[in-house]
Amino acid sequence: MPAVLTVDPRSGVPIYLQIVEQVKRSVALGVLGAGEQLPTVKQLALDLTVNPNTVARAYRDLERDSVIETSPGRGSFVRAQAAGESPAVAAEIAADALDVAMREARAVGVSREALRELFDAALARWFSLEIEGA
Amino acid sequence: MSTIKISNLRKTYGPVAAVDGLSLDIPSATVFGLLGPNGAGKTTTFKCMLGLARPTSGEILYGGKPLVPETFEHIAYVPERNVLYDWMTVAEHIEMTRRAYSRFDEKRALELLSQFNIDTKRRARALSKGMRTAVMVALAFSRNAEILILDEPTSGLDPVNQRHVLSLIINEAAKGNSVIFSSHQIGQVERAAERIAVMDRGRIVLDGLVDDLKADRKIVEGIYPDVSFTLDGIAGDPRVLRADRTERIVRLLVSGGADDIAAALARTGAAGVRAVDLNLEDIFLYAVSPAVATADVVAKESSS
Repeated sequence: MPAVLTVDPRSGVPIYLQIVEQVKRSVALGVLGAGEQLPTVKQLALDLTVNPNTVARAYRDLERDSVIETSPGRGSFVRAQAAGESPAVAAEIAADALDVAMREARAVGVSREALRELFDAALARWFSLEIEGA
Repeated sequence: MSTIKISNLRKTYGPVAAVDGLSLDIPSATVFGLLGPNGAGKTTTFKCMLGLARPTSGEILYGGKPLVPETFEHIAYVPERNVLYDWMTVAEHIEMTRRAYSRFDEKRALELLSQFNIDTKRRARALSKGMRTAVMVALAFSRNAEILILDEPTSGLDPVNQRHVLSLIINEAAKGNSVIFSSHQIGQVERAAERIAVMDRGRIVLDGLVDDLKADRKIVEGIYPDVSFTLDGIAGDPRVLRADRTERIVRLLVSGGADDIAAALARTGAAGVRAVDLNLEDIFLYAVSPAVATADVVAKESSS
C-alpha cells in the first residue's frame, strides 16, 4: 500500500479512528483499489510508530464496516464492494464535514437563513466553474 | 506469566507513603504507560514490581504467581538512574549481562548499540547521559524478556533516538510481549501506549485505553452574555468531573455525554457552546490538578 496514512497522536481524535477514517477516505478516492493489500498490523504500527493493538482495533472496525476483509495467513484486503461504493463513502465524508460546519455555525449563533446564504455563496465559489464546464 | 496484577500496594519510607494503596491490572501483550508528576511514586512502584523494594503491604502477581527468582529471567528493566559502572567499558557491560541472563542475545545487543552509534570500547564514564540511557535500553531489549519495565527510557536521547526506542517498544508489543514504561514526554506515551494509568501522590487517579479516554473526555465550553447566570445544577451532573467558571465563560470537563451537557448548557442561555477534544496531555493535567473549582461552582449555584 502506498504511504497514504499519517496519524497525529497529539490530536484529541483517537488514533484508531484516524486510521479508520483515512483508510475509508483512501478507498473513496480510489487511492486504495479493490483487492489491494493493506500492510500487516505490525508493519503499519512500525510505519506510523503507534501501538499495534491500536492498529488491530482499526482493522477490526474496517472489517465490521465491510471496507476490508482479512484472511488468516494472507493478510487484509480492500473489499471489491467497498471500492465500488466509493460515491456513497465520498458522500458520507462530505456529510460529516457539513455536520461539523453546521454545529459550529449553530454554536456561534448564525441563523438558519444566514447559514443558507453562506452555503449558497460557498457552493457558487467552489462549484461554479464545474457547472459552467458541464 | 505476563499478566500483572497489583493489589493494594503500599510502600512507606518512615512517615511518607510513596505508594499508597495502588491497584492495577496490566494485561499481557500490551504497552502500558505510567504517567505522573515527579514524586508521584512511579519509580517506587517499578522497584516493588521488580523486588528491588519490599512492599510495606499489598501484593504483586505475575500470571497469578508472586515474584520468585526465576521470574527475573523474564523481566528486563531500564532504571531511571544510571546504573552503569563508570570504570567498565560498554563491552564489559555486555559481558556482565550475558553471564547474568541465560536468554541474553549478545548479537542483538551489538546491533542495537551500533544503531545508537555507541562505541563498545568506551568506558561508561565517557558516555553522555543520553548514551548511557541508550546502553541500558540496548541491554534490556536484548534480554528476550516477556516483560520490559522501562523507567524514563528516552531521557537524554535526541529525537531520532527517542523515536528509535519507541519503535523498539512497538516491536516488542507486536511480538506479544508487554512493555510498562514511564515518561514525562506524553507525546511518546500517546503514540506507543495502548493503555495508561495516571499516578498522583502514590495512587492511581485515572486509567484506561488511551483511545477510549480521548473519545470519552471532552471540555464543554459556553459563553454567557453577562456574568449573572446560573448553571441550573449542571455542575452537579455525575458526568461533569470538573467545572471552571471565570466571568462569563464556563468550562466543564465531562466524561461521556458531551452532546447532552452541551445542549443543557445552551438551555441555560450560553452562546457559543462547543465541545473540545482533549489530547492525552490535557487529560493528564486535568487528572493531576485539584478540582476545587467544581465545589466552588456548586457553592455559587446553591447560594444564588
